[in-house]
Amino acid sequence: MMKPLLPLDEIKLPEPQAPQTYRINLHDRSFTFRDLKHVLGAADISKAGDRKAGLAAETEVMREAARAVVSNMTLQHLFDQPLTTAQGHIDSVMRVNYDIDHAVFADIASLTLGELKDDLLRANGERIRQVGSALTGVMVAALTKLLDTHELIFLAKKLKRGAASRARTVVGLPNTLSSRLQPNHPTDNLSGLTLLIYAGLSTGSGDALVGLNPAIDTVANISATLHHLDQVRKDTGAPTQICVLSHIKTQLACLEEGAPVEIMFQSLAGTERTLTDEFDVTVELLDHAYHTMLERGALAEVAENFMYFETGQGSEFSYGKHEGIDMATTEALCYGLARRYKPFMVNNVTGFIGPETHLDNHEMIYSCLQDHFMGKMLGLPMGMAPCYTLHSQITLEGQQMATELLTAAGANFFMDVYLGTDRMLAYFDTSGHDDQTLREIYDLKPAPEFLEWAILRGIFEWGADGEVKRGINWGNPRIFCQSDSEFQRLQESVPAIYGFENAGPRPANRVSRNMKSNQAIGREAIYAELRPAEISGIALRELHTAAISKNEHLSDPSLGCRLDEAELLQLSPELYDVQILISDGLSAEAIHHNIPDLLPVLLDGLAGHDLSCGQPILAHYGRVKLAEAVGEALRPKVVITLIGERPGGDALASRSMSAYLAYRLPDAATQKAAAEFSGNKAIEYEYTVISNIYSGGLPPIEGGSVIVGKVRAMLHHKAAGNRLENLLQQKLMA
Amino acid sequence: MTTFAPAIDNRRVKLLGLDFGSTTCSAMVAEACVTTNSVTGRMEFSEPIVIFRSAPVFTPFINHAIDAAAVAKLISGWLAQSGLALDDVSGVPAIFAGGAIITGLAAQKQNAAALIGQIRQWVGETVIATAQDPCLESWLAFMGSCSALSRYHTEIPLLNFDIGGGTTNVALGLQGDVLATGCYFIGARHFQFVPGLYQLTAISDYGLSLLDELGINKRVGDSLDTIECEQIMLYYCRALEAIVLGERQFFATAVARQHEQVALSSRPELSVAKLTFSGGVGELLYRHISGEALPSTTFYGDFGIDLAVAIANSPLLSADLANYVPENLGRATVYGLTLHSTEISGTTLFLPRSECLPLRDLPIVSKLSMQASQAQWLAALELAKKREQGACIQILSDSAEKADLKQIRLLGQHIAQALTASQYSGSQPLVILIEANVGQALGNYATNWTKSGHNLVVIDEVPIRNAHFVNIGCMHQQIVPISFFGLH
Repeated sequence: MMKPLLPLDEIKLPEPQAPQTYRINLHDRSFTFRDLKHVLGAADISKAGDRKAGLAAETEVMREAARAVVSNMTLQHLFDQPLTTAQGHIDSVMRVNYDIDHAVFADIASLTLGELKDDLLRANGERIRQVGSALTGVMVAALTKLLDTHELIFLAKKLKRGAASRARTVVGLPNTLSSRLQPNHPTDNLSGLTLLIYAGLSTGSGDALVGLNPAIDTVANISATLHHLDQVRKDTGAPTQICVLSHIKTQLACLEEGAPVEIMFQSLAGTERTLTDEFDVTVELLDHAYHTMLERGALAEVAENFMYFETGQGSEFSYGKHEGIDMATTEALCYGLARRYKPFMVNNVTGFIGPETHLDNHEMIYSCLQDHFMGKMLGLPMGMAPCYTLHSQITLEGQQMATELLTAAGANFFMDVYLGTDRMLAYFDTSGHDDQTLREIYDLKPAPEFLEWAILRGIFEWGADGEVKRGINWGNPRIFCQSDSEFQRLQESVPAIYGFENAGPRPANRVSRNMKSNQAIGREAIYAELRPAEISGIALRELHTAAISKNEHLSDPSLGCRLDEAELLQLSPELYDVQILISDGLSAEAIHHNIPDLLPVLLDGLAGHDLSCGQPILAHYGRVKLAEAVGEALRPKVVITLIGERPGGDALASRSMSAYLAYRLPDAATQKAAAEFSGNKAIEYEYTVISNIYSGGLPPIEGGSVIVGKVRAMLHHKAAGNRLENLLQQKLMA
Repeated sequence: MTTFAPAIDNRRVKLLGLDFGSTTCSAMVAEACVTTNSVTGRMEFSEPIVIFRSAPVFTPFINHAIDAAAVAKLISGWLAQSGLALDDVSGVPAIFAGGAIITGLAAQKQNAAALIGQIRQWVGETVIATAQDPCLESWLAFMGSCSALSRYHTEIPLLNFDIGGGTTNVALGLQGDVLATGCYFIGARHFQFVPGLYQLTAISDYGLSLLDELGINKRVGDSLDTIECEQIMLYYCRALEAIVLGERQFFATAVARQHEQVALSSRPELSVAKLTFSGGVGELLYRHISGEALPSTTFYGDFGIDLAVAIANSPLLSADLANYVPENLGRATVYGLTLHSTEISGTTLFLPRSECLPLRDLPIVSKLSMQASQAQWLAALELAKKREQGACIQILSDSAEKADLKQIRLLGQHIAQALTASQYSGSQPLVILIEANVGQALGNYATNWTKSGHNLVVIDEVPIRNAHFVNIGCMHQQIVPISFFGLH
């Protein structure tokens, strides 16, 4: 019987205190920290997000000074000092964090963090877990700042026993390593999903979950994909559970329509403002979803746990809603919120956001170890997804080191993204091959129910000494198809497959080299500098944004939205119909490969329709919103921004460019129509986007022609974006 | 095997296939999504599901003339069983595209006209009916049975024999493309029997010639003995083996020549091709080799069962049966009709006057290379002008060749100048088909960004097919369906 949720107004809270200054002398140097938030921030290792937030310690000595302050704080002090919003309020996330075991807390309240750390290192797993039940997220974060790598792994490992959760399978038992199979596809193509599920199941992955991040978040699509995943699960007989990771409201609507919502997913944030403003979720809504699943979820009869949360250090900071709290602490606050719902899974995706929060391998690996420990300490069934995007400096090797350390620490599960390349989200995660390799290195098994099935399917077999070995069908997705033709059709629906040949638990070298070389092209595209001489025979105006280097551009998106101030002063209104703006964005190679063919067609077409056009601009280190800065300076009717897209793992697609057609709303009547349509009263620009311009998508010659057609339609109908498409549709119907 | 969920959005369309042969006829309705393939970037029908497949029934004739009333009843019955919704305006089913093929006795002039009339009445203009197009039938049978299998075995040519009642339609393919087609009057029903016996009830003209050739003096009412049956089956198998081996001398005799409607042209891939079978006899063959008991003697009143067994006993013909199993077997042609008879254009075609669609029975008057001169374009347009309802020109390109900007601008210029020089009427539709994804750019350059006023349509991303005619359907979600016929 699940314990009922404690009503929010019954959670015991301290009175918010005025911020307290902390001072300490260390080795003849004195340090002053403005408040508790700054102490906690400075006590962590230096990470990109905390540096930008002004919270990271400036020196190693300063960091140790902060750690000394933390070491001497009592738990009671932390209890009495809730981290509040700028207005001095305790937000709903912080409130839930105070839902702790007060009896246990009473016993430990007088301990300093330093004493607590030593006690825990001497304690067994059961005691550590008991202490965790009495801690808030802030307390666990503070403790974590005192732990080195060995300690993070050592303590987490002790928490593996007792960290399991139960749905159709039991995930997180000692000596197991499970996985969430993530069959993401750029268009939610059902054949594509099917092949990726077959591939994952054949490598022994998916015992924790088959969970899809959908490309299209509508009730119709989510219901259809849920039904499809359910059908694949039944057809293969794999004992697992399914989930489509759409917004919680969409999933609730799907459940109402009878779709098989087995596990309810939601991304969480560690501050209320991020949770509500950005994720459109409240604690009350989470409570409602929990109760609904308890009563009517597809696994209500069998599952003890049915909620699934994803978190990752830095989301609050990247939205600018971290309330002055450092990334590790806001992450711990997420866990304090997740704990309320006794979830089936919590998955940490630190590294997903990019270099603005975690610059390199060191920052990502250490944060992952912190997160895993903090989650386990707060009683959660933690799985880990150490991951990266190509515009950070995190590498495949660094990600693999993280998984080795996290397996040593006892992570419940990793992800299985086929060959580590997510075809929809353009980032890189662990693969089924990685999961199997780690199981073999650390002598681990998948969940018992799944193992039994996989042995029957020849995916695993028992060894002579009772160990689990790869079976004859390991890594062969063809076993789930009835014919070669069916298998072929499935293969033709998934990009970046590179082959199914294996060498032991790893992909064959040919497959790995293919995958890595494609990724290398993507990385090169991001870090390449614009080479104006290669772009076009047409004279361009060269301008610069506020970003003065590639690294600055990649790690601070806001800089690329502004023109260099001195150059801005040189510009004055030119009042042309169209201004073309070319910028590297996240792929200079996209510009080099597409502009030479596209720009002449575009200029021919504009001239062919008697539209005036200013001299095209080439701006280094730009972002999409730079269009508005240029628009305000030059005042054309339309700004066409041609910009490189963020590369994923496919070499050809890494050369993909987009055209953002920004329509400057020219008069009050048009502005009113746009405001009514968008719900944004202050709207100044409407955008039409033409994406995937590259030789494997919309070829640049054709792209130029398509842009001309769209600009004509925008000027004729005085609209862009969905409002324009609606008007065009109405015209067609008439 | 996992089947796919039914329609979830308006990208899904309905497709219809109708197959009227000398002996049997059948129907199939499928539903598929019109989407961009995320691997190739091309528009395609994806995630097809067959929502209705009829049982094959005898084609209704009255003394060799098609029984129109019975055909009407058949078609309306199939449509009712398939659950297709009727369009509010036209009153016919809301079908995006499809094909109907009429062969053998059904394709004789009066019969074909009657059948086409019935098809148009019951299913409207979107389904294209084609009569007596043996190479199209071979192509469809290959696409319906071996398309995916051929793409799976990327290095191995497949030779598919679609063996039905009257004909064997042969197609050689590699990597999903058909390289060559042929058609032979070899089939199960040239000799018809009292079911359970070998007592003859009917013999076709081809059957009579064969009996003479083999020195068998039997006619309707007589019974064939075991040796005579074996002689006939041996002859058929030898003919099939000769096709496989490229032995032209086999077809040097008068009777063999009579059995050869369209010869399969000799190609180097033939010598290494693996064999597959479809059609009614193909279906019996795979059932037989999988150990399934076949129906009793002449159960279907013909040689179908005997021919399947004879093929299984031929070491050459049966060598690949276990390792290369095609799909759809007995329904290969109608499946091919349903899902492969229609190509889909790219989404950025040049179509300033969408109201000019659909365009029916457009002759493909010329096939020009990307480098064709202005004089060549002028000559092609002079031919096109002769057909007021519209005409089509295909632009051929080496698939390895990327269309560059200079080339497209020059090509557009040549077309523009030829349109002017030929005084091409502004109302007369001219359709240009091209494989490369450059339709809108080429159309714009060819019409000076639509200022010339010509009724030019440029449809891109259409694979080149060796056909004499093409149909262009109405626009649906930025694409148009295209179907070729008169294959050669």
